[in-house]
Formats: sequence, structure tokens, C-alpha cells
Amino acid sequence: MSTLILGSAALAFSGFAATSITMDRHYADIHGRGKEAPAAARLRLRTLGWLGLLLSFMACIGASGWHIGPVLWCGILSLAAWTVTLLLQYHPRRVMQAAWIGIPAALLTATLLLRP
Amino acid sequence: MKDGLRQSMAWVHTWSGLLVCWLLLLVFMGGTAAYYKHEITFWMKPELHKAADAPSRVTPTESATLAVRELQQRAPKANAWFLDLPHERNPLIYASWTNPPKKGMTREERRAAFRTQNFTLDPMTGEHTAAPRDTRGGEFLYRLHFDLYYMSAIWGRWIVGIAAMAMLVAIISGVITHKRIFKDFFTFRPKKGQRSWLDAHNATAVLALPFHLMITYTGLVTLMFMYMPAPTKALYGTEQNAMFADVFPNAERVKPAKQSAPLADIAPMLLQAERAWGVAPTRIVVSNPNDANARVALHRPSGQQLSNIEPSMTFDGASGALLSETAPMSTTLDARAAIYGLHVAHFADTLLRALFFVCGLAGTAMVATGALLWGVKERQKYAKVLAKGGRVGFGVRLVDALNIGAIAGLPIAFAAYFWANRLLPVEMASRTNAEANVFFIAWGVAALLAQIRPTRAMWRFQLTAGAVLLAGIPVLNAFTTDSHLGVTLFGGPALRAVAGFDIVVLLLGLLLGWAAWWLGRKAKKQAAAKTPAQAAQTTPLEAA
Repeated sequence: MSTLILGSAALAFSGFAATSITMDRHYADIHGRGKEAPAAARLRLRTLGWLGLLLSFMACIGASGWHIGPVLWCGILSLAAWTVTLLLQYHPRRVMQAAWIGIPAALLTATLLLRP
Repeated sequence: MKDGLRQSMAWVHTWSGLLVCWLLLLVFMGGTAAYYKHEITFWMKPELHKAADAPSRVTPTESATLAVRELQQRAPKANAWFLDLPHERNPLIYASWTNPPKKGMTREERRAAFRTQNFTLDPMTGEHTAAPRDTRGGEFLYRLHFDLYYMSAIWGRWIVGIAAMAMLVAIISGVITHKRIFKDFFTFRPKKGQRSWLDAHNATAVLALPFHLMITYTGLVTLMFMYMPAPTKALYGTEQNAMFADVFPNAERVKPAKQSAPLADIAPMLLQAERAWGVAPTRIVVSNPNDANARVALHRPSGQQLSNIEPSMTFDGASGALLSETAPMSTTLDARAAIYGLHVAHFADTLLRALFFVCGLAGTAMVATGALLWGVKERQKYAKVLAKGGRVGFGVRLVDALNIGAIAGLPIAFAAYFWANRLLPVEMASRTNAEANVFFIAWGVAALLAQIRPTRAMWRFQLTAGAVLLAGIPVLNAFTTDSHLGVTLFGGPALRAVAGFDIVVLLLGLLLGWAAWWLGRKAKKQAAAKTPAQAAQTTPLEAA
């Protein structure tokens, strides 16, 4: 149960992080003033970001069911978004690195969810 | 609409928010605290801590039997008995009862009598715990957030309801007027004056928007029969109780037969319920005990469901036969129960409860930053006047003062309430009222001082006072009780609530202390840049 919730939190963070690092302001913060993300990278990271959020939702449902799961997910999303916001301000490059946590979290969550 | 939708909405957002924001701060803070009202009440009754800190060796059935035996001796002719059995968030057996009202008793007298009609049993030994001090504990904060105080509950609910409706308007208009809601989604830029306050307002509002919308809307729904009486009036006229009986048949009350009949053994009923549910009941209500029409209702937590309605089983108290279970509800009623349940969050486990609490704090921060933002913006109109050593207008001064009194003053009031709980004499008469009075005296003094001198120095003074009072609570607890952090951190699971309370107020105190320190640093920086006379006249917000 709690492993799924942890996975969900990591995925929510990673999903938001992936979405945020291609946004104009944050991309410039990370890569230098005036730089803009290539369209392909933007599309790729955004898709991955949304997939992360979707999987994060499924993890909450897996952990707490259809009644409580969505409520839990909303709380986790808020926490994840605040973390990304603060991290983007004070350590923008870390966001890019930390976003990788989504890959192992996705594998773990998928395994737990698909386990018979 | 000359200005376009967005500008109009900005106007709506500003005024629907500003006019009610100080009351909303009280509602948000009280409601956020109320997520832990059981824990707060337990903390505020230190006499119970020792008894709770022993693993229970008595089953729920035995607990209930013990309590019923005691109730039979003390209140055999009561209207109803209420029993709370030990469970995750409650380590003890609480019993209380209501007597048939005597003629000529006022409502106040009945309430005062009810407060004396209870006892607490230690589930380990089955004996009475030390008598706890008279306090309303977290219940006061819970009631405060929709009933207010010093006025009838109806008035309080109308006032809070109007504020909540304004809040709903402010949320919706705020979303419409927020031009860069997606582009600025993750944006927070500190040290940029008004821009930073706006970012902070957006981050606390947008990133927890599901919570804010939910809590405001569901809060209104909890009292919908009051705020929207027209449908009831149209269908039932003045017979509102008939409507309640139709809509909530489970709440229907049975009249006593006035014919005595011994109450059946309660243990088999509990076992039957436990077998059917897989979990033990946590709450028992016996209406008309020892009457032929006695009813025993067993309730359990709703568990993995949003609904606020606890599943229950009702037994005939005289024969012990199962009469009914909670009937499956219509979709409409189910939806209402889920909406109501979302507001009170009884379903929440430790993690989810903590998330609700954090979101509640974010809501408080959203209202606070919004209120501050108005002052910061409005003050800019006086930039030239201020530069010449002039004063700001009446409106800005008033809002500044109200902001200090609510944002910095309310934490002082909350802390004072907890200090009063530990410091007022235990045997004092009408102690519960005295505790509440301390809350409002502390708040009143803070608000008054703020009106007299709404300056940066006042911000720092009140924030520091709140910080010292809140962070001092664990220290006070160590001096006045035996269940301080040194004990509770290493004690049994029941003491976790006490330790958690101490740690959370300590953290909140540190947060206020940090805010005061931050203001002080700003003041120094500004004093270095400007002449001291001018620095003293600006408020912190302008410089933030």
C-alpha cells in the first residue's frame, strides 16, 4: 500500500518536473537566458509528464480504491507541485536531474499494479 | 462590460475576497485545527494521558459491557446513552447521557447539566480514569469555525455561510482573472515586492485548487438546508422536521413506551455486528434505556468510503433482536453524504489527514497573501505622498491593521487558548467558558493594538509573540503535566497524539518566528538604504 503511495508521489513530482523544465521561463533558468526548448523535446517531455501524472493517479487508486484514491491523488499533486515550484526557484538544475526518479517509480508502480 | 471579462473579474475577485478575508482566516484556521479535534481534546485533558498509555487488554465487547453496567447504576432513566469505544484515534471509553429535560430548564442549564453527565473508563482496568479537567478541547475550535461564538449558532452559521459564498465567488473569479494560470503554474519569484506576494498567492491557491474549491463548496453543502430553505418550505411548509424524517429515516427517533423493560445484554449485539462487518463497532447509542421501546444503535467508521454516514445496526433494546441496518441510500443522498464526508474527512487515515491539514494551512496562506496583496497594491498609490513623509489613506491603514490583527493576532489567540487550558485552575467554575474567553481576549488585545499602531514594528511584535507562545507550548506542557515530549515520544501509541500536538505547535511557532526574523532583516536592510525616519513608516509588505 504505502509503496504505491510513495510511487505515486514520485511519479507526480516527476510528471510535474518533466512538464515544467520545457516551459519558457524555467528552461531559460536552467539552460541560460534566451534559450528555448526544441519543439521535439517539449512534446516528448510533456507527453512523459502527463503519462507520469496518469500513472500516479492509477497508483493512488491501487493504494486506496476509487473512493479515497482520487482525494489522496489531489493532495499528492499539491505537495508535488509545491516541491517542484520551490525547487525550480532555488535549484533549477536539480529539477531536471530529479525528474529521472519517474523512470524507476513508473517501473515499480506498474509492477505493483499489474501484479496478479 | 467596458473593461472586458478579465478586468471585471479582477474587481469581483478583489472585493469578494477582501471584505470577508479576516473572517475566512478564522474559519480556515479553526477548520484546519478541527481535522485533529480528537487529538486536541485529548491533549487538553492531560489527566487521561496516563490511563491511555497502556495497551488495551479488554475487547470492545467487554468495554461496552463495563460501561453499560456503570450507566445502569448512574443513569437508568436517561433519555439516551452515548458510548465511544476505544479505536485508533480514541484510546479510552467515553460515556455520556442525556436526561429528560426538567420543566423550566433553559437551554444553557441543560447544556451545563449535560457537561457533567459523563465519565471516562480506562479500557485496561475497566476503572474510572482520573476526572479530566473541564474543557471543550478541539470541539471549541471545530464549532468556532462555523458557529462562531458569543452569538446564537444560527447567526454564526449565516455569517460564516455568507463569507463562504463570497469565498466561492472569489475562487471562481480568481481563476478567470488569472491570465497566466498555466504559464505561471510553477512560478515563485521571491524578493520582488508585489510580484512575490502575487506569486505566493497564486502558488498557494492554484496548486491546491481542488482542495480550496472542494472545501468551500462542501462547507456550504453541509448547511444547505439552512442556506436554501425554499425547496423544503415549498414541499413541507413549516414542518421541517417532517422533511428530515423523510430524507433521513435512520435518524428517526422512537418515543418511549413508558413501560419499563430490562435492557437486553449488549454483548451479543456487538458480536453480531462485528461478525457482519468484520470490524468492531466504535460508537453505541442506546435510546430509551430500560423502556419497552429501547433501541440500541451500533455504529462503525465508514472506512474506505467518503460518506459521512457511519454504517449502523439498530437492535430492539428489550428483546435484543436486530431491527434494521443502514438502508442503502438513494444516489442523491449518497452524493450528499459523500460531499459532506469530504468536508469532515472522517475517512482520512494518518497520511491523508496530514495532507488535508497541509492543504488547510495552504488555504490560510492563500487568504493571508491575498489580504496582504491588497495593501501592497493600494499602498503604491501613496508612493509620492509617502516619499514626502505623508500618510497613507484610511482604507490602507484599516486593512493593514486588520491584517496584523488577523494574520499575526489569530495564532496568538489559538496559543493563548492552549496556555489557558494548562494554566487556569483545574477546579475553576465554568472553566470551559473561561478558556474560550481567553481566546477572544487575546485576539481582541492583538486586534486593538494593531488598530492603534499598524506598523512594521507591530507585525514583528505580534509575530514574535505568537512564535513564543506557540513554540513555548511544549515547554509549558513539560512544566505542567507528566506527558511532555520526553515521555510521549517514547510512550505507547496513544501518546503519539500528544507528541504530535507538541511538535506541530512547535513547528508553527518556528514558522512565525522565522517570519518575524525575516521582517527584522528587511527592516535593517531598509534602514541602511533609507533614512531611519522613513523606514519606520513603511510597512514590511512594501519592501518584501
